[in-house]
Amino acid sequence: MGKREVVESCMDNLMIEMVSAYCNQFYATKPELAARRIEAIGYHVGHQLSERYTMEHPRFSDHLEAIKFICKDFWSELFKKQIDNLKTNHRGTFVLQDNRFRWLTRMSISPTNTDLSQDSSITTIENKALQATSMYLYFPCGIIRGALSNLGIACAVSADMSNHPACSFVVRVKA
Amino acid sequence: MIVCIAVVGHQSFTEADDALKLHHIVHCSLDVIDERVNNPKKTGSTLNETYLGLLYPTENYKVYGYLTNTKVKFILVTTHLDVRDADVRNFFRRFHSAYVDAVSNPFHVPGKKITSQTFAERVSTIVKSFGLSSAV
Repeated sequence: MGKREVVESCMDNLMIEMVSAYCNQFYATKPELAARRIEAIGYHVGHQLSERYTMEHPRFSDHLEAIKFICKDFWSELFKKQIDNLKTNHRGTFVLQDNRFRWLTRMSISPTNTDLSQDSSITTIENKALQATSMYLYFPCGIIRGALSNLGIACAVSADMSNHPACSFVVRVKA
Repeated sequence: MIVCIAVVGHQSFTEADDALKLHHIVHCSLDVIDERVNNPKKTGSTLNETYLGLLYPTENYKVYGYLTNTKVKFILVTTHLDVRDADVRNFFRRFHSAYVDAVSNPFHVPGKKITSQTFAERVSTIVKSFGLSSAV
């Protein structure tokens, strides 16, 4: 079973289309449901990917080892680089920071694209732009959650995109 | 000769022959695996051997276990008397690879029985070559 390769832009386009389909067609009036569906897809993918990428790996002794695996090997397989910064409060919360998140590097969240005549303040425009971008973060959050749950760690994952193109994922382990 | 291979994640079995006895063997070996796992050991994927010769005075089964990072257990029951360690490890490595490919199927529901035809074929190929390679 040899490896088969696909052009990266196919993956980018698939992501964009997935978010667009769920937000604009399937759950146009209910963005929270669209977000949940996208995150669930990510969960399934993460589950399967973690099965594949932990094959050669010795078993993890604790949560920190599993998170480090996500930061190094798992992230390199997915995005060809490692997580740049990992912080923890040693009480079940981990912050994984990627200084140049691959799937969003080509995305502009500049507010000039939106219709300026409608909205009053600059902050609401920026908020809308950030909200639109955050839809794209549900898929990677789901991937992380799926991978960790397959390693036996139940958690909740959220993402923060405030300093684009850097992106941080916050993992809260359920006790 | 391999009599049975079981994949136990959350209840799924493949290729059983004389099902009831083998289910019993597999359940016993699950207990042994749990004992081994709960003793803090820093080894990699464990390969443990449980000899159940005493339970069955007429036939001698050897049972091998393999535990993946995702808490999925593979149990191999064989009647082959002089199995080499390297062969079993090799077998489990190939079986693990086939398992990962089967689970990566988007139509596979995690936790349910694996129904892929390709998986069944690959497993029977691996099983057949197991017997041959260990004959020196």
